[in-house]
Amino acid sequence: MLGRLGRWIDERAHLSELWQSQMVDYRVPKNLTFPYAFGIMALVAFAIQIISGIFLTMYYQPDVNKAFDSVNYTIMKEVPFMWLVRQVHAAGANFFLAVVYLHIFTGIYYNAYKKPRELTWIVGWLIYFVLLTTALTGYLLPWGQLSYWGMVVTAEIPTSIDSAPIIGKLKIGETISLWMKGGYEIGQITLGRFFGLHIWLLPLILLLLVGIHLYLVRAAGISNPEGREIDKKKEGVPFHPYITLKEGAYVMGYLAVFFFFVFFHMSHFLPADNYDPADPFKTPAHIAPEWYLLAYYTIFRSIPDKFLGFVAFNLSLVLLLLLPFLDFSPLKSARNRPLFFVMFVVLVVSSMALTVLGTMPPTPTNAMLGLLFTAGLFAFFLSLPLISIIEWGWYKARGGEKR
Amino acid sequence: MIKAVFFTAISLIFFYIIWINNFFAHKERYEMPAQYAKIAEDVKSYAKEGKQLFEQNCQACHSVRYDSVYISAVQANPKLKTLQEKYGKVLPRDVYEGVFNEDLMALKESFGKVPPDLSTMYLVKGKEYLFNFTLEPQKVLPGTSMPAVMTGRPEETAKIIAYLKSVSEPTPEEKSKRVLMGVGTIAYLVVMGILLWLWKGKILKRMGLH
Repeated sequence: MLGRLGRWIDERAHLSELWQSQMVDYRVPKNLTFPYAFGIMALVAFAIQIISGIFLTMYYQPDVNKAFDSVNYTIMKEVPFMWLVRQVHAAGANFFLAVVYLHIFTGIYYNAYKKPRELTWIVGWLIYFVLLTTALTGYLLPWGQLSYWGMVVTAEIPTSIDSAPIIGKLKIGETISLWMKGGYEIGQITLGRFFGLHIWLLPLILLLLVGIHLYLVRAAGISNPEGREIDKKKEGVPFHPYITLKEGAYVMGYLAVFFFFVFFHMSHFLPADNYDPADPFKTPAHIAPEWYLLAYYTIFRSIPDKFLGFVAFNLSLVLLLLLPFLDFSPLKSARNRPLFFVMFVVLVVSSMALTVLGTMPPTPTNAMLGLLFTAGLFAFFLSLPLISIIEWGWYKARGGEKR
Repeated sequence: MIKAVFFTAISLIFFYIIWINNFFAHKERYEMPAQYAKIAEDVKSYAKEGKQLFEQNCQACHSVRYDSVYISAVQANPKLKTLQEKYGKVLPRDVYEGVFNEDLMALKESFGKVPPDLSTMYLVKGKEYLFNFTLEPQKVLPGTSMPAVMTGRPEETAKIIAYLKSVSEPTPEEKSKRVLMGVGTIAYLVVMGILLWLWKGKILKRMGLH
C-alpha cells in the first residue's frame, strides 16, 4: 500500500529523479576527512533550534513581568517535557555555535574560501554574523540577571564610537545603542523587539542564507583536503550512499554527545546567575558575554583606548570576511603550506586563549596577555598576503605546478 | 596523524575549560560540614520539615511563589484566595506585586529593599552559600539587612535548604526518570551510529569503494 502510494506520488513529483541527480550522481572527493562533517552537524543543530524554538514560543511570554516566570515556572516546571525542550534549545544554541566555529576553522585549514568558493565563504560569514545576532537576541529572553546585564554591557559597546576624535561628536554610537534598546533603558520595548527579531526575522534570514550557502556548495563543489580540484567523473564518489552513511554515523555521535549535555550537564548552558530575575538595581559581580563572543570582548577590553578597541574587534570580523582576498596564494590546504600551517596554529591558539581570558578578571596581566593574543590573531590575517607572495615564488620555481 | 591528534586535543581541552570546568575563572567557594550537606541534599526526608521551618522563620519576609508560599502578611490577606482562584496558585509576579504592594512596601521600609522571593534561590546560590549566609549573614555579606534569624541552628538551616531545593529541582522520582530517558536516548544514538557505520562498510564493499 505504502509502496503504491510512493509510486503514485513519484510519477507526479519525479522525486526519485531528483534524488538520483542531486544525491547519487552528485560526486564528491573520496578523501573527505572527519572535520568536513561539521557542516552537516551545523545543519542538524539549526533544525534542532528551529523545532525546539517553535515549541518554546507556545509558552514563553515576552513581557518583562512574565518572561522570567514563563521560562522558569511554566516551561521548566508546569508543562510536561517542556524542561527538555528548553534544555535542548539552550544547549543547542551553544552546540550550534561550537560546530559553526569548528566548521569555520576547518574551512580556513583546508582553504575552502579560495577560488571558486569565495562566494560560499562570504555567505558563510553572513550566516555566522546573523547567528551571533540571533544568539544575542535570544539571550535576553529568559529575563534573568545575566540576560539583562549582559545586554546592558553589549548595548554600551557601540557608544565607544563616540570617544573617537572627530566622528565622536556625531554621537553615532549613542544612536546605535538607543536603537538597540528601543529607549534609554532595557525594558519592555527591548524585550518585545528582541523577541520579534529572535523568533521571526533572524531565523528567516538564516534559512535564506543557509539555502544559498548549500546551493553554492553544490555549485562550486566541496573542497578537497589535498587542496586540488578532483576530476569528479574519474575520482569522485557518489554523495549517497558514501557520504550520507559516513556523515550519518558522525551525526549520531554528535547527537549522543549533545544529549549527554542536555540530560546530564546543563550547568554551563543554564548558568546559575540567570535563575535570578533581572534587577536593574542589582549589578552582578562578574558580567561577561557568552563564550562565543568572549574572544571579541577580550580584544575590546584589552586595548586601553575604547574607540580603538571597538575598531579592533570589528576589524577582526571584517578580516575574516576578507580572507579569500587576503590569501591569494596559488597553493591550497594547510597540508601543502607549512608557513600557512604555522600561522593557522597561531590563529587557533590566539582565538582560544582570548576566549578563556574573557572569563577571567581584567587584571593588568590579563590585559597584557589579551594584547599579546590579539596581536597573534591579527598576525594570522596580516601574514597571509606575505605568505601568498612567498608561495607564488615557490609555485613559479616549481614551474607552475599546482598541488 | 600528529596534526589531527593535536587539533583534537586542543579543541577538547578548550571545550572542557569553557563548558565543564573553567579553572581559570574566579569562583567564590563556601564550605559546608558534610552532615549538614547530607541533610540539605536529602529532599525526600527533610523538605516537608524544612517547609514548616521556613514558615516559622522566613515567611515573615520571604515568599516562595513557585510553591504558592507568600509572605505572612499576604498569606493572611483574604484577597489572596480570590486571586488564586482567578490566576492559579502561583500568582503572576505583576499581579502579586501590584495587589500586595502595601505589604511589600512595609517590608521595604524595614529592610531598605523588598526581601527576594526564594523560588529559584537554591539554583542561583547553591547550598553552601545559602547555609553560610543564612547562619551568619553579616559574615558572608557585610552590611546586609538580612537578620541573623538562624544563627546557631545549622541543622534547621540545612532542612530549610532541603525545602528550597525541593522547590527548585525536580522530585527524586522525576530525576530518576530523566536519567533513564537520557541513558536510553544516548544508547539509541550510539547504536544507530554503529549500525550506520557497519552498513556503510557493507554497501561500499559491494560498490567496490571500500
